[in-house]
Amino acid sequence: MLEARGLTKWYGGFLALDRADFQVRRGEILGYLGPNGSGKSTTVSIVVGLVEPSAGSIWLDGQRAADDPVAYKRRIGYVPEEPHLYTHLTATEYLMLVGRLRGLPERLLVEKVPTFLRLLQLWDSRYATIAAYSKGMRQRVLLAAALLPNPDLLVLDEPFSGLDVTAGLLFRALLREFVGEERMVLFSTHRFDVVEQLCSRVLILSRGHIVAEHEMAALRAGTSSLEDVFVQVTQQDDFAPIARQILDAMRQT
Amino acid sequence: MKPKIAILVRDRAGWRLTQHFFRALFDFGLLTQAGADSLTHLLLGSVGGFVSAGLLITYLYLGKYALLWGAPAEVHRRAVLGDDLMLVGLPMLVVALVTVIIGESLFPDERDFRVLGPLPVRKSTLFGAKLAALAMFTGLLVAVIHASLFPLLLLTSIHPNGQPAVLSRLVVWLLTGASASLWVLLAVAALVGVSTLTLAHGRWRELPGLLRSAVLGMLVVAVPFVLRLPDSGGAFAEQADWLMFLPPAWFVGLQQVLRGSRDPWFVQLAGVGLAALAAAGLLVAATYAVLFRRFEYLMLRSSRAPGAGSRTDAAHGRDEQATPAFRGVFHFTLLTLRRSQLHQGVLAGIMACGLAIAMRSTAAMAAPFTLMFISGLAVRATLVLPMEHRANWIFRMTEDGNARAEQQRAVDRLVTWCVVGAPLALALPTLWGGTGPRSLGAVAIVALTGFIFVHVVLADWRRIPFTSSYLPGKRFAAHSLVVGGACYLLLTWAGSYLAAAAAGNLRRALAIALAMASLGWLLRRRRLAAWSLTPLMFEDELADQPTLVQLRQ
Repeated sequence: MLEARGLTKWYGGFLALDRADFQVRRGEILGYLGPNGSGKSTTVSIVVGLVEPSAGSIWLDGQRAADDPVAYKRRIGYVPEEPHLYTHLTATEYLMLVGRLRGLPERLLVEKVPTFLRLLQLWDSRYATIAAYSKGMRQRVLLAAALLPNPDLLVLDEPFSGLDVTAGLLFRALLREFVGEERMVLFSTHRFDVVEQLCSRVLILSRGHIVAEHEMAALRAGTSSLEDVFVQVTQQDDFAPIARQILDAMRQT
Repeated sequence: MKPKIAILVRDRAGWRLTQHFFRALFDFGLLTQAGADSLTHLLLGSVGGFVSAGLLITYLYLGKYALLWGAPAEVHRRAVLGDDLMLVGLPMLVVALVTVIIGESLFPDERDFRVLGPLPVRKSTLFGAKLAALAMFTGLLVAVIHASLFPLLLLTSIHPNGQPAVLSRLVVWLLTGASASLWVLLAVAALVGVSTLTLAHGRWRELPGLLRSAVLGMLVVAVPFVLRLPDSGGAFAEQADWLMFLPPAWFVGLQQVLRGSRDPWFVQLAGVGLAALAAAGLLVAATYAVLFRRFEYLMLRSSRAPGAGSRTDAAHGRDEQATPAFRGVFHFTLLTLRRSQLHQGVLAGIMACGLAIAMRSTAAMAAPFTLMFISGLAVRATLVLPMEHRANWIFRMTEDGNARAEQQRAVDRLVTWCVVGAPLALALPTLWGGTGPRSLGAVAIVALTGFIFVHVVLADWRRIPFTSSYLPGKRFAAHSLVVGGACYLLLTWAGSYLAAAAAGNLRRALAIALAMASLGWLLRRRRLAAWSLTPLMFEDELADQPTLVQLRQ
């Protein structure tokens, strides 16, 4: 189980995340929802070890991540929101690089990399540099890189952005199978539909605080949709007047 | 009324694109905002540097022209012809160097296609903006160079027996100088354009970049020859045949024709120059036209064809004994050097500087050490330049104290190749040619000095190549010059002394080699131990940046 205990992050005088406590249980996809600037990406960056928290800690299966950060990071796969990749490399070269940085033996990489390329429909483009890839193809490279070290925990930051319908369906099936093996997924997204279909639990974040936590099964059984809950707990404005104002602005000539 | 508004909007888009392309010529697309600001300061400083260099050259020539003041007209004419060659050749060389460096931006490329393609920007606007940005950039560059050489032109124009028409000489020089600079720009653009159109796909895709790096290296090696052009005044006056193959001579011939000479030799030179200008212009125009007509096809073909990846895959199995961390960084660095034209250009350009200086070195023993010093500068300058800085998260996320020393060992090996390999390649033939087999001791000393010098090159090194942000010009230039100069003098003096001591005396050579090998081994061990303890650096720091003490922890 992954546990976040009192995660807090200050950027100068700005409090991005305030005492966030949550768990991702084995066999679970935890949805992590929030409007822009709510602290989602900060949480994800702390969980994957890219950012040090100002206070609080991360625990994985009872071990504090800070005690052995390398061992902790070896158990994590990460798909970032923006597909920042070395675009002068081919997908094969990038995956080999990631595998080597993860300390995987060469014989394993030589087998795994082509397999991932075939299964994620990147095989035909294996000679092209990533610069020539579409956003969806880049997302698939990132997914392959995240899965390469056989992680216990997948941390996904908007992983469906840019994926076509087929790849999206494959991705969903893959995540279900992944947690079916008693692994964990922390799924940060803006998309209610994906959370409703995929996640077993959802956390809603607003202005750096966790403001709601729901079992999806309970939500599905109730009368309120996830969207209703989200709007209510994050105190969103009524969007209809704003939408009308936008259209008015658009019509101005 | 509507069409006028449409034209206005379109023109605005074109102007904004021109501004965008113009700015991109300065930051190479790899700098952070802080880095770009820093580079702007550096470039503004370099304008001042150009002007100062012009004044310095003029000052150096004052003595020569003081002597020529009372000389016969023919002697003065020969001297001026030689200096005219340099006054045309030097701007040509600078323009050629800059054009090769910005070679990736000479034509609309795949990034422009993918980023601007979906926007409501017409293809003609895109191409027009690219050309306009290039014209602005080149115009600025040519103006700055000619302004910096203006005092020298004035100096060469004044003589008691010479023609007093300084103004006409100035106008002709500006005209022919601009033509010569335009020719060299077009020639480099034609080379880049034709090689890109014909080779930049499939398994040859890395060739245009390598070609550009080779041209850059050759241009740098040509610097001393251009600086010696004033010595060619006599050959020019005697109409030596080889001058027909010297591009600056074409445009000096054109100068003479424009100033009224009807000498067939000058007319022939001018004709060759104008023909070359027209040919280069036509080639570039044809390249632009082909690119314009087949933009989509040419931009998309690289995704379809097999390329360098296949050869790289085959190479993966070679170093079976290496650890994954070593292989990861080693292959990443090699691939980046193979594919990034900018990094290749920096490496080839600075190393060619070293070669040019070493070739002019009067002491054969000092030449390998000169090349060693400049190779060290070149490789370090290349490895610190970032590549896709925001993609470094994978290195940050996988940073591991145990693997760090192995990752840095890969850097160490590449630096050793450059710092030891290049000087050895120079030392072997030159020293062997001088003293035969007795030079082997000296050659061994060159190699061992390189192993020790690697430690200096990698002092305070905490990066994975190409992954840290970059702040250009972060040290005070005078400080860098003094420290670098002292380091250079120490290296060449100590290296030459030891190599000379080792040459021809086997016992002494063995003793020196043993001592140096022990020192090199100790330094390397210390370096690797320090690397496993020191965190990697992913954000470049100013030299006077205070170290943050993390009291909270």
